[in-house]
Amino acid sequence: MVMINKVKAWLEDGTVDVFLGYKEIDHHPLPHCFTSEHIEDVADLVVSPVRYPLEKIATHMTAIEPDIKIGMLARDCNNRALNVLFLWNQIKAENIKTLSVNCCPSKLKKHGDCSYLEPEKMGAFKKQVGVDNNLEAEDLDAYGQKERLDRWMYEFQKCIKCYGCRNICPVCFCKECSLEHDELVKTGPLLPEIPIFHMVRAVHMAGRCIDCGLCEAACPMDIPLRLLYGKVNEIVMNLFDYETGSSAENPPFSILGDAVTLEPKPIEAAQTA
Amino acid sequence: MTVKRITFLQELLGLIGLEGRLGLSWISSAEAQKFVQVVSDFTEKIRSLGPNPLPAFSDSRKAAAAELMQLDFKGDGYDQQSQSMA
Amino acid sequence: MECQLVPSVCSYCGTGCGVLFEVINGKIVGTLPMKTHPVNEGKLCIKGWNLHEHVNSFMRLKQPLVKTFGRFIKTDWNEAIQLTADRFREIIDKYGPDSIGVLVSAKITNEENYLAQKFARAVIGTNNVDHCARL
Repeated sequence: MVMINKVKAWLEDGTVDVFLGYKEIDHHPLPHCFTSEHIEDVADLVVSPVRYPLEKIATHMTAIEPDIKIGMLARDCNNRALNVLFLWNQIKAENIKTLSVNCCPSKLKKHGDCSYLEPEKMGAFKKQVGVDNNLEAEDLDAYGQKERLDRWMYEFQKCIKCYGCRNICPVCFCKECSLEHDELVKTGPLLPEIPIFHMVRAVHMAGRCIDCGLCEAACPMDIPLRLLYGKVNEIVMNLFDYETGSSAENPPFSILGDAVTLEPKPIEAAQTA
Repeated sequence: MTVKRITFLQELLGLIGLEGRLGLSWISSAEAQKFVQVVSDFTEKIRSLGPNPLPAFSDSRKAAAAELMQLDFKGDGYDQQSQSMA
Repeated sequence: MECQLVPSVCSYCGTGCGVLFEVINGKIVGTLPMKTHPVNEGKLCIKGWNLHEHVNSFMRLKQPLVKTFGRFIKTDWNEAIQLTADRFREIIDKYGPDSIGVLVSAKITNEENYLAQKFARAVIGTNNVDHCARL
């Protein structure tokens, strides 16, 4: 009730032009755009247990009308996504007002009580031959080099290149995606070029992925994307001391010309057989 | 920026299982000797790591797909099924 | 700025995954999967993800077209249906009723499927009725 009254107040006094929340239609909680013209709809506002990328809808709206003021229901993952979008100049911070709701536990924030994340059980064969989606990032270090390659390739080969991971990602906004560029990642016949497709996506997620898990939920083949991008951001954290979604500075890959003291790994001499 | 990217990429390739195949060396066009040295060393190192493991995966996948295409559908009740629909 | 999120069903194959259209100012600009839909549970194939391009494509047909002297000429529905009926009649008279086949689909209702096979058997006079999933 408190939430509904607050949203009504915001719409009435013009703090926001539209409010993105959820409404139940035929027992499906779906995202809905509440406006002051239909203010009686706000009585149906719910907080749904399923998550949709509301920030992505906000980005599309801002692209058409840059000065529109948008309010939205925001879990922690939504807040982190908004932080990243502000840094990359996709939305202006002064045009967004968020209403915080329960959030979920994730590696970037330990405590939370969202009902969404009950991990799906993975099959026994997948655990044996591929990578279990529910592993922690540290467990991945236990595998040796050859085993890692076998396991990850097993996962990547299932890819049907539906582009679901990229389409639903709230921080993916490039107009010309390099994954659709024929000369960079070959397009065409059924078998997508693996692992280059997933590697390119992983590199682009460095400094951007906020661990919302929508990519893994959207993958029809259950490829452990959340784990992969979580590990990528762990690498970014170790190398650059940058925590994606929480730090207020620009991510390390967007700054040109700063002095760095990193050393890449040396090219070792050949090992004699 | 290059150093940032290369260091990051080395870690990423190590995550997947393709460790030690990427290196960075700053050489000016006047240091021809150093260039020869670095390239020869790196070639030897790559050679010692063995052949490229990736085609083996796509080959096995293509073989599986080819096997599926050749399966013979005729002899397992397919014709009877079509008659019962008519 | 009018923004609506309209639930619908994908129009491609017979599976019928649930999709959610992002409609801004009356135009479909994006497609998202419906997470709670029992058929797809939040996942889509590449055709489903690009429904918004298919709906807005300039290549969509707006009127029946008849091929006359090698070129497509716009016509109206009555003429198009009459022409099709006349051609069917010609083909049946010349080659027999079994030269025509009818394909039904899981995306149309059972009643429509019944109607299609009745049309094939009673009107055209052929047993050649098959289903899109068997192809």
